[in-house]
Amino acid sequence: MSAIRFEHVTVAFQRAVGIEDLSFELEPGEFLGIIGPNGSGKTTLLRTVLGLLRPVAGSVTVLGGRGRGLVEVRRRIGYVPQRRPIEPGFPVSVLDAVMMGTYAGLGLLRRPGKRERELAHRALAAVGLGEAGDHVAGHLSGGQQQRLLLARALVQEPEVLLLDEPTAGVDVASRRQIVELVRRLHRERGLTTLYVTHDVNEIVPCVDKVMFLNRTLRAFGSCADVTSPKMLKELYGSTVVVVEREGRPYVLVGDRHG
Amino acid sequence: MGDFFQFGFMRNALAGSLVVATACSVIGVFVVLRGLAFAGAGLAHAAFGGVALGFLLGIDPLVTAVVFCIGTALLIQFAGREAGLKSDTAIGIFFAFTMALGVLFVGLMRRYDARLFGYLFGNVLGVTGTNLALMSVLTVAVLVVTGIWFKEFKFLCFDEEMAQASGQPTAFLSGMLLVLLAATVVVSIKAVGIILVEALLIIPAATAYQLTNRFGMMFVLSWLAAVVSCMAGLVASYYLAVPSGAAIVIVATALFGLAVLFSPKRRKCKVCGRQ
Repeated sequence: MSAIRFEHVTVAFQRAVGIEDLSFELEPGEFLGIIGPNGSGKTTLLRTVLGLLRPVAGSVTVLGGRGRGLVEVRRRIGYVPQRRPIEPGFPVSVLDAVMMGTYAGLGLLRRPGKRERELAHRALAAVGLGEAGDHVAGHLSGGQQQRLLLARALVQEPEVLLLDEPTAGVDVASRRQIVELVRRLHRERGLTTLYVTHDVNEIVPCVDKVMFLNRTLRAFGSCADVTSPKMLKELYGSTVVVVEREGRPYVLVGDRHG
Repeated sequence: MGDFFQFGFMRNALAGSLVVATACSVIGVFVVLRGLAFAGAGLAHAAFGGVALGFLLGIDPLVTAVVFCIGTALLIQFAGREAGLKSDTAIGIFFAFTMALGVLFVGLMRRYDARLFGYLFGNVLGVTGTNLALMSVLTVAVLVVTGIWFKEFKFLCFDEEMAQASGQPTAFLSGMLLVLLAATVVVSIKAVGIILVEALLIIPAATAYQLTNRFGMMFVLSWLAAVVSCMAGLVASYYLAVPSGAAIVIVATALFGLAVLFSPKRRKCKVCGRQ
């Protein structure tokens, strides 16, 4: 059974179309890189998987849940949204913020206890923030805050992991660390991972499948197929330069002036 | 303070201000962390409509104020969302509307009732036993509901998008927080008045915010700041013969000033080097 299946899915907002007639299928344990320009529906796709947005047409199946059933499988999906900076003075420790990932599983009235604390410590250790549990969440650097969000997604022991541009607004060194970390966690935990980025270099060459989304599906297939120099030129248009080095394509996106 | 407790009205005033301090300081933490200051001011003004209706119909103004404030809170949450409005726009619409109803009710009264003025600026020395009973019941209800959804409210204030994505009913929780805020406003108006209730909602919690980085501790410090402000304000109003609501707010603001001056958050952060 596939982990995620979209059949002719269209998602629309009040007046605008977010995604149109999207079909694809993902097996458990696969790593999908989703690329596309800004406003191409990448975040919309993740929110549809979570069941936060309902399609106006077509059907979405995630971990066997469909329609209203998507709400029930939501707990098995870890979501790392696009980072917004945490208010520096907000009175919440790093450990506290990670433990929030366990709240949904606890239900009403039960407070997080020893078990949740232990899970949160382990999730923090897994993302390399093992020492930072007592720090104020808002005092972490951008890259550390991103890893905190990843730890919060991991603490609920998800089967599916959704990441929305996890390297946006993070310096180059941390960016590489985060990409490596996500790949390692994906492998070690047998996750089904959807990784949204607008930097194709982050997911080349080692994801299982790549989707190029621009409101509708423009390309979907193996990494080699979608990220061949010919295909990338076609997708990005003439604004990119594709350089091949040691059999691996690098995409340089430049602003063109006059 | 020997002669202080001899009078029944003084005992009521002390008990009343303790109740008000408790409700305001707890809900105030959420108001400060979630940025609900305008909602607090708006719901306080909505209370005016309720109080005026109470005087018009000749029933306890606090009872009509509860209905008015909670109704306004629900309108802000649900009608606002339905119309796709930002919450501050929805607050602006409905608090002006309920204010207008208040003015209408005052106009319908045969003659102006001076006691209405007491609700605008508050008079903790005028808190009756009946008032106190209703205030206590509302405060207990506010505390119980806060206790039930405590961790959910915490998540909502910290990161609403994530709370929703992890399956929390965020629309319900935001609405519930506004209803709690509405109930807290009603608890407070007799003592500190419609115009000054905002101060007790925000100042003690903002004082606590200066002093701690821990979520639970913020409630403790906020409560202490509110209780000290109310007690000191009350004593000052008794001995100096000044209006109690004003005295309470002035003490609370002075405490806030001290907290800012001595805030550990203003010192350089050791971990991140941030100022």
